[in-house]
Amino acid sequence: MAIISAEHSDQLYWLGRYSERVYTTLKIFEDHFDSMIDLKTEEYEDFCRKQDIPNIYTSKDDFSRRYCFDEENPNSIYSNLMRAYDNAIVLREEIGSETLAYIQLAVYAMNRAKTSDAPLIQLQRVRDNIVAFWGIVDDSIDSESIRSIIKFGKRLERIDLYSRMRMESAEIRREMNRFNFRINRTGLRYNKRKLAHLNYLVEVNALDYETIIRELETLFELEEDK
Amino acid sequence: METERLFGYSDTVNELLARYGVKFGIYKNNVFKEQLFPFDMIPRVIEKQEFAFLEKGLKQRVLALNEFIKDIYGDKKIVRDGIVPEEFIYAGSGYLAQCEGVMPPKGIYSHISGIDLVQGKDKQWYILEDNLRIPSGASYPMIARELCRRSTPITFEKNAIEDNRNYAKLLRRTMDHVNTGGHTVILSPGRYNAAYFEHSYLAEKTGAHLVTGSELVVENDHLYFIDYSGKKEPVGAVYRRISDEYLDPMNFNEESVIGIPHIYDIYRKGNVALLNAPGNGVADDKGIYYFVPKMIQYYLGEEAVLQNAPTYLPYYKEDMDYVLEHFDSLVLKDVAEAGGYGIVFGNKLTREEKEHFLALLKEQPRRFIAQEVIDFLDIDIYENGEVTPRKADLRAFVLMADEPMVWKSGLTRFSRNPDSFIVNSSQGGGFKDTWVMAE
Repeated sequence: MAIISAEHSDQLYWLGRYSERVYTTLKIFEDHFDSMIDLKTEEYEDFCRKQDIPNIYTSKDDFSRRYCFDEENPNSIYSNLMRAYDNAIVLREEIGSETLAYIQLAVYAMNRAKTSDAPLIQLQRVRDNIVAFWGIVDDSIDSESIRSIIKFGKRLERIDLYSRMRMESAEIRREMNRFNFRINRTGLRYNKRKLAHLNYLVEVNALDYETIIRELETLFELEEDK
Repeated sequence: METERLFGYSDTVNELLARYGVKFGIYKNNVFKEQLFPFDMIPRVIEKQEFAFLEKGLKQRVLALNEFIKDIYGDKKIVRDGIVPEEFIYAGSGYLAQCEGVMPPKGIYSHISGIDLVQGKDKQWYILEDNLRIPSGASYPMIARELCRRSTPITFEKNAIEDNRNYAKLLRRTMDHVNTGGHTVILSPGRYNAAYFEHSYLAEKTGAHLVTGSELVVENDHLYFIDYSGKKEPVGAVYRRISDEYLDPMNFNEESVIGIPHIYDIYRKGNVALLNAPGNGVADDKGIYYFVPKMIQYYLGEEAVLQNAPTYLPYYKEDMDYVLEHFDSLVLKDVAEAGGYGIVFGNKLTREEKEHFLALLKEQPRRFIAQEVIDFLDIDIYENGEVTPRKADLRAFVLMADEPMVWKSGLTRFSRNPDSFIVNSSQGGGFKDTWVMAE
């Protein structure tokens, strides 16, 4: 079994979260962008509200550009990808050069998209590389704990994002099942009472999205730490 | 030798190097940037017999340097016998008083040595510099070879070339040889270090754990790695890629936040191996370089196989006279500088600059060495579809386990500027693979 320091387990977890954030926000962005083509210009305001990010954009064109590519904007997809990269680059020994390469390729694809006159097409390559990254995580990382921490971060982020976007309960339940499967394979310490509460919350018909998000954010707050 | 076949794959291999993040870090205007290290497909080729000669000389040199460090922090016979003046020991920045009387595990100080050589137009090899602190660069030809083999396997089928991908095995053997019991780790200052790619790649390839100082702790006279569940795992060998002064704030620079408090105390007790040993800088000072052939004679009773570049020490009056007389044909090096900095070509200075420099030289003669400018044998690079000559050096790696081992390859760095002798990556240089022929 691999030995992993607290610092590296944290980086594995955030690698999973940021890679998922890039993937899912890109997917959602593409759907919103498509709607905005038909002049529903207020779409991006709703998007920002649901994502709980400040609406600093002046128009749909400004949103399309800066939400995707603004290096100075901590909420941009670009910044999230760079955070994934920052975590991946220090994990070469745990995840391997082949796995790390797909995050690097996603960064190159993002930089190409930034200067492209057809950015949506190029952004597809970013998503493709993230998908390939997840595939190779499964295929080439032998250590179950390393693999599981990355995937646990990914699952947690997905429930968080889906909840923010008020997705249907069936979608969130499906992700919760995957989350439950993964969490016990990580070796991470978490608040069992909160996990039970989360499982209860996703089963009720009218989802309390805000509480789900809050419980996810505080899942690592242990009772004995208080 | 079939190297032409490689030309067509230049872009492919450089793209693959980018894919795997083969970069080095550089600070420009206090901003950290990662840069790709340009790779040239035309290898430096060293014939089997020629490399056997280099191997003999390199082993001899590293053995003598190791004896020198042992002596300096021990009996100091070489100083007492008047071979090396004490000013060159104690005034140098590499000497550490804290290392006096400390013997590292198995008496090895320089586990990984990077020896820089150049080849003159007369085909004679000259040693330019010994790097015994934390020499870097082996990872670049390792990964480049991997990608070249993938790009054009037939080239490697048709040429009998020593496989250089065994560097990780040699390094692991070196680390295991001195391990005092426990895990082996590579200690890095972190991702904003210029050589971070190398730290992480060598960790991956050797199976050592890549750590920063905050992940290790000294307790009960032993070193431990703390895992994420809080369990402490013993560590027996640390291949440290941070400088002596930052290694332990309790023993060296107290402002260091990247070191491990008290690691030097337990090293002194023999409870952990540090590769390379602290204090090695005493032997790779540019001023000490002058004395290496004398050391070989003194410790091993042998003539040096490999020659130094003709060097003068302005510290000695007759050498100062020579330097003043032949200033325009010499290159002067500040012994405290590295990385291609602090190098002055006499003929490149304006009259004012020369006057200023000569005043400095007379005031601080110990600070500089002077060398004849070696007429490098240019080697070809492939650039913009053409083959063109450039200056290049070779960093050879010698690893010391139960015996000295010379890696059958090396990092060949070249200047991308046709008028420059400076090959350092930090100054825009590129690199090549080094093929040592097996037959």
